[in-house]
Amino acid sequence: MHNQVLKFLLLTLWLIGCSESNEQLEETNQDNTSEVNSYYDDNPDFFTFSTKESLPQNLTWQNGMDLPDIGSSLAIKGGTEYSRLADFPRTLRVVGPDSNGSFRPYILDNVSMQLAHRHPDEFVFYPGLADSWAIDRDAKTIYVKLDTNARWSDGAPVTSDDFMFMFFFFQSAYIVAPWYNNWYGTQYTNITKFDDHTFSITVPDAKPDMDSRVLELRPIPQNFFKHLGEDYVERYQWKFQPTTGAYVIRDEDIKKGRSITLTRLENWWAKDKKFWRNRFNPDRIQLNVIRDTPKVFEAFKRGDIDQFSLSLAEYWYDKLPNDDPDVQGGYIHKTTFYNQRPRPTYGLWMNSARPLLDTKDIRIGINHATNWQLVIDNYFRGDYARMRTSSDGYGEFTHPSLSPRTFDIALAEQHFSKAGFNKRAGDGILVNDAGQRLSFTVSTGYESYKDVLTILKEEALKAGLEFRIEVLDSTAGWKKVQEKKHDIHFAAFGVNLEMYPRFWETYHSVNAYDVAFTENGAVNADRRLKTQSNNLESMASLDMDGLIDQYRISESKHQMVDLAHRMTELHHEYASFVPGFVQGFYRLGHWRWVKYPDGFNHKHSGDGQEFHVHWIDMDEKQETLANRKSRVPYPPAINVYDQFAQ
Amino acid sequence: MLTPQTLKKLRRFRAIKRGYYSFLILAGLLVIVTMGELLVSDRALIVSYEGELFFPTYGEFHPGSDFGLDYEYEVNYRDLGRSFKGSDNWLIMPPVPYSPLENHAPSGIFKPAGPSLAEQHYLGTDTTSRDILARLFYGTRIALYFSLAFMVCVYGIGIAIGCAMGYFGGVFDLIFQRLIEIWSNIPFLYMVIIVFSVIPATFSVPVRITILLTVMVLFSWTSMTYYMRTETYKEKTRDYIASARIIGASNTRIILRHILPNVLSTLVTFVPFTIVSAITAITALDFLGFGLPPPTPSLGELLKQGTANLRTAPWIVTSAFGTLVILLTLVTFIGEAVRESFDPKKFTIYR
Repeated sequence: MHNQVLKFLLLTLWLIGCSESNEQLEETNQDNTSEVNSYYDDNPDFFTFSTKESLPQNLTWQNGMDLPDIGSSLAIKGGTEYSRLADFPRTLRVVGPDSNGSFRPYILDNVSMQLAHRHPDEFVFYPGLADSWAIDRDAKTIYVKLDTNARWSDGAPVTSDDFMFMFFFFQSAYIVAPWYNNWYGTQYTNITKFDDHTFSITVPDAKPDMDSRVLELRPIPQNFFKHLGEDYVERYQWKFQPTTGAYVIRDEDIKKGRSITLTRLENWWAKDKKFWRNRFNPDRIQLNVIRDTPKVFEAFKRGDIDQFSLSLAEYWYDKLPNDDPDVQGGYIHKTTFYNQRPRPTYGLWMNSARPLLDTKDIRIGINHATNWQLVIDNYFRGDYARMRTSSDGYGEFTHPSLSPRTFDIALAEQHFSKAGFNKRAGDGILVNDAGQRLSFTVSTGYESYKDVLTILKEEALKAGLEFRIEVLDSTAGWKKVQEKKHDIHFAAFGVNLEMYPRFWETYHSVNAYDVAFTENGAVNADRRLKTQSNNLESMASLDMDGLIDQYRISESKHQMVDLAHRMTELHHEYASFVPGFVQGFYRLGHWRWVKYPDGFNHKHSGDGQEFHVHWIDMDEKQETLANRKSRVPYPPAINVYDQFAQ
Repeated sequence: MLTPQTLKKLRRFRAIKRGYYSFLILAGLLVIVTMGELLVSDRALIVSYEGELFFPTYGEFHPGSDFGLDYEYEVNYRDLGRSFKGSDNWLIMPPVPYSPLENHAPSGIFKPAGPSLAEQHYLGTDTTSRDILARLFYGTRIALYFSLAFMVCVYGIGIAIGCAMGYFGGVFDLIFQRLIEIWSNIPFLYMVIIVFSVIPATFSVPVRITILLTVMVLFSWTSMTYYMRTETYKEKTRDYIASARIIGASNTRIILRHILPNVLSTLVTFVPFTIVSAITAITALDFLGFGLPPPTPSLGELLKQGTANLRTAPWIVTSAFGTLVILLTLVTFIGEAVRESFDPKKFTIYR
């Protein structure tokens, strides 16, 4: 009797347990199709469903097929490329927390396909997922016909629905990515589906580069994200999202903390396409986690890693000099490639909301007290050039004649003295009548540029200016400037290959203060700093705001060029940025089995691997390693490709 | 304090030659680094200019205009010396005429340069052409001062609390023991890293060093209390303490005059090893990048540079590593000798 009661109890408990877990399962695995559809229904102005017949007839379709090929027809497929990651990726997601790391280019930026891509030599678009496209400037709309062969790596076709879903995805709060929410919510006004492979997207302003806003979009696979919900971040943390590109990551190739390997799709849908056939050549790309750069270099010298960036002077001249046995034996090739693209803005960003730094004379003085030229000549050994403005490398949008303030102790002292700093304390630092020292913290998140700052510090001392150096780790450094807690920060904004520079993010007063000015244009006394924005200089100027507003809505390229120059001048006059250095090239060392096309790479390439035009010759690898062992030399190869030097 | 017994111990310490000489060398080293500015500095020792004598080593800086040059920042004494050639003016530079902070590249390029007698870079220069000997010298000074201060603080707190626990016992002892158990389970290196990552750089270097010291002391004093507590417990029950109490001696008097001198010999033997651990800790922190802010000279920072340039600039790692080995060996030798000469088994009748 007792026994039976016990059994019954156990059975009940088990049943309760079952039903609970089933319920949970249902909750999390809920298909979101109906949610997505109702989102479309709720926003009829944004999501429009139309028919093929209503597609305008008079459109001029283009497809960029007359552009030259990318890569080399000599490229052979196969082999394994060995490369390095500084840290194991924190996620395989491409959007959301922790996703914007150094690993993302391998699964998104450099690999997956957009509707169309800017040609790396010609700057105009060649087709990716799109078969052709048409631009209607008056209607601010781009029409797109998808390539009907386009496939996700899981075999599903790429359709207009994936683009509709892309907007749902990026506008949704589930992805925990406010920047995307804002961008996809404000920079686009409509998507219209005509059929499974035809759609149009409308943007709010017909900017000169409005085509790039649409053509550079990447779809999101609706089928894969059908369980998108509150648990997005955890659920998709280690799931590889189907890709339109050549490389996939298989589950067994994720060795957490150690390595991650990409595998080339044998039947990649674009493998015979004109602009894609000579690229993405290695069968596998194995990325090993090696944290320290010196260790990476040792691994490279052993042949465990195929390529190594030699952009730093110490590696190019000292650690792998031209007379190194491996270079002289021709086993390792050294290459310098001059490229053309917007340059990262390395420089000192002064927070002009801080005491003392709010005085223009002090800012000008700091400009004159910063000896970048010495750093460039003696530390970078003259390889780099002085940056002129914070928007270098944008062709005609870059100011033609403006030059940065030079290191000049007398001028610096003159400006400091105008601001009241005319006496020197016992240690040589300037003080004002109130006894305040001319001393600022210079923070940075770049451990590798620590030496640069110590050189600047010693030089600034001569002008009576003290820099207190604070080296933080990269996350903490970025957090500090985003919270606007810095005096002076050394950093660079990474810049994309774009037609014209952005000003709103960095110089508009709405990104500096909550309410910068009162209604009659006076400075608002109660204004509060705005955090989490890229206006690192806390620059707030009504003149600048006016120009930026015009620039943002301007649809004439000529006017925008003029505005860009005027804004650059205004920014120079404000003197809150000390332009640092630009590198007009990249350098690398690679083993001779890594092959590159004849001209090495394309004009707008940012590094050797960006466009995946290289290939690995496995036979040559065997041979080279054997010959290296027996000291049979090849002709050395130290090449400079300066066909795109500026 | 200097009872006949202590004197005997000290005599015995002197007899252990290895430890004794190590002690002398280290003491000498301490004296030398204390007056370091006279040996390693970019400021001249004496300048005779237009019949007037200057002693720039200590005190305020002299702008170039003091010596007829056309700039207001600190005069470069090495250049000044060269310009004095052929005139009545003269100056004497220290044996190592470089500051640990200045970039001095004879080749015009900031990169490691090998040891050179001609340039007076006796141990070469580091990656930004700073003199290694100067950086080593001041790095060692900071490490030594730091570890001495660390030792004093840790012993001060450890002895006070340990003694009190042992002497008063009871609930006081019970509560403090539990507290210490919890406290000592907090991993010290992580705590230092965490605390130091939130300290703003606006603090000057001495303040930051003090904070680092405080944090390290906060997490290190506990180990000392164990020894002090047991020793005090042991001594407390001895007859002479009972007699002192009967005569009416106060607690303070008993602890300071009777217990402390008798337990100190145990503690002394730990001193050198505390110093070793302090030097290692601050070097490790600098190596990891959580120690002193750049460009403060430090052994750990040099060691890090050295390991990053093993192939191209072996002199960096050799000098940093060599200094560390010498320093730690000296202290360890002293430690061994102290332990041997203070060994209670040699002098006590309790076996």
